[in-house]
Amino acid sequence: MTATLLFLPLSYAHEGHDHGDAPPVVVSQSVPRTEAQSALFELVAVASGGSLEIYLDRFETNEPVTDAVIEVETPAGPLSAVAEAEIYRIEAPWSLQPGEYDLIFTVSSGSDIDFLTATLSVPDVAAPVLAQRSGWLANSAFADEMQEVLATDLRDRLSRNDPGLIAVGILGFLGGLLVMAVFRRRTVFAAGTGAVLFVIFAGSIAVAHEGHDHGDQAALMPVPSGRDVAQRLPDGTVFVPKPSQRILAIRTILAAQEAHRRSVEMPGRIIPDPNASGYVQAAIAGRLSPPEGGFPRLGARVEAGDVLAEITPPLQMIDQSDVRQRQSELAQEITIAEQRIRRFETLVASGAVARTTLDEAKIELEGLKERRSALEQVQVQPEPLVAPVAGIIAASNAVAGQMAESNAVIFHIVDPARLWVEALAYGNDGQFDTAAASDGSNRALALKFEGAGFADRSQAVPVHFSIESDTKGLRLGQMLSVLGQTQETEEGLAIPRMSVLRGANGQDMVFLHVGAERFEPREVRIMPLDGDRVLVAAGVEPGARVVTQGAELLNQIR
Amino acid sequence: MNSRILALAAALAMPGIANAHEPRPGPNGGTLVDAGTHHVELVTKDTSVEVYLSDASDAPVPSEGFKGTAILIVGGKPQRVSLEPSGGSQLLGQAAAPVASPVKGAVQLTAPDGATSQAKFE
Repeated sequence: MTATLLFLPLSYAHEGHDHGDAPPVVVSQSVPRTEAQSALFELVAVASGGSLEIYLDRFETNEPVTDAVIEVETPAGPLSAVAEAEIYRIEAPWSLQPGEYDLIFTVSSGSDIDFLTATLSVPDVAAPVLAQRSGWLANSAFADEMQEVLATDLRDRLSRNDPGLIAVGILGFLGGLLVMAVFRRRTVFAAGTGAVLFVIFAGSIAVAHEGHDHGDQAALMPVPSGRDVAQRLPDGTVFVPKPSQRILAIRTILAAQEAHRRSVEMPGRIIPDPNASGYVQAAIAGRLSPPEGGFPRLGARVEAGDVLAEITPPLQMIDQSDVRQRQSELAQEITIAEQRIRRFETLVASGAVARTTLDEAKIELEGLKERRSALEQVQVQPEPLVAPVAGIIAASNAVAGQMAESNAVIFHIVDPARLWVEALAYGNDGQFDTAAASDGSNRALALKFEGAGFADRSQAVPVHFSIESDTKGLRLGQMLSVLGQTQETEEGLAIPRMSVLRGANGQDMVFLHVGAERFEPREVRIMPLDGDRVLVAAGVEPGARVVTQGAELLNQIR
Repeated sequence: MNSRILALAAALAMPGIANAHEPRPGPNGGTLVDAGTHHVELVTKDTSVEVYLSDASDAPVPSEGFKGTAILIVGGKPQRVSLEPSGGSQLLGQAAAPVASPVKGAVQLTAPDGATSQAKFE
């Protein structure tokens, strides 16, 4: 525990009472420039030829702001900046003279008003431009040298029983004694050991500081001539001047720690809504014939109840002979019945036959005639096939004169505005909150979860979604990739998939927008989230600005 | 033994506590921020804009010879207020309309030796 506590102050060791902002990293440049940031805006001012060019962008997205009004508090008094295309300009003859100039920019854009303060430092023209590095460890050449010197030195000392080495040994022993004494409450002994240690240390402090160089290593940087060019700096960050950023259309997002629904990708295909689609099937085998107006063409809109085709059942040989036999029998009976009626009519007048007998014979004749006409109709009456639902003809097998079998599907009717997606969910229970599908043309379809099956199908659960967005251009059976948001959540920073690049060493990395014109590559560990986004597990802190658009282009700057 | 360890740890941790970067309440009831080598406190009362100067250890600095400009948002619009020394460590200016407190704005100061510094209040 003591050890842990002892290390605590180390993390604060470099904090202190330090005035002003952290010194901006001076980038090798040929033109004096300064930058300022606020929660809303990011501003870069570049002094060139007696005027000040001002680039104004949104802080979070890096989008250029072109409709702002900028007032600048300059050494020559307040000035209004003139908008020129995508930049703003003020006359600044003072910027030709070397010196430090404090500037206050008052930016109003729409309802947003903000103040940005910056200090423009114009170096003496003759002075070389310096690049600053933070910490002596960063200077690899220096570190290597130190290491080498130490190694040879130690080897030498060991070989000649150097008293320095012995002293270090004694020092360690005394330190151990002190710690032990403190813990065993031997106050006098501890004080004594402490005093001895102090004397030894005091003597060695002067030595320890020899040749030990703390920070502020200034190295001469190559100075590019003429205008500012995008370049990779020795510390790995990329300097991209604002004009280049605008050409590359660099955009960023603010990484935020949020709970995100985990989503899974599933293969799916489009099926018709079972309540808005139907088959037209022949109930009996027969010969197809077009209805009045012909068969409906593919894609034609039909209403429920429309007659789409007619089917005529054929008569078999045996049936036909049966029918003929029956017909001749009937004809025979009808003739007999007619003769009987004629005879009865003469007899009724004389009273030999009762009136009722004549009436019965007439009724019998009528019945026989009806039976004959019914038998004739059987051969010519076709059965109509009607549409069960409204929709369009999605598939048609109708050919005039074709012999359709019983149960054959003649037409498939689908309502194209009501489509479903059937997806196969592997490895989860198939319960989703929302889902989206993509058909490979960068169009995302919003889906609504309808239900999941219980029966296993090729080790997956079939899941049904209804398509809520416009279904134009979709067709039945089309394959889709479906992204379903499950009910489990993950905490983390979500960033677009396209901001993650593969570094030269094969590791995933993103670019962070660390300064107005500086981008820092950062190695990250990512986890899949959904189709568009990934979750950063390590490497990016909340509040960092992650480059989303143009990251690939930044990576190519050498 | 525990108390001794805690005391030792506390003593070692002490240097890390001091940190004076953030805007903080000042002794005159305003907001105190860093500006170059100075600390600046901005106090707004009705239409008066008062700025107090102090050094790095928060000791008052005479405002004699200083010049200043404050740009403040008053009623949704930026407004420029000139500041003149008014005795002690105070610089005083008058805004055209009553200023809400705390106010969003920036203060630019020119020291007697011509060095400038600025402070931002948000």
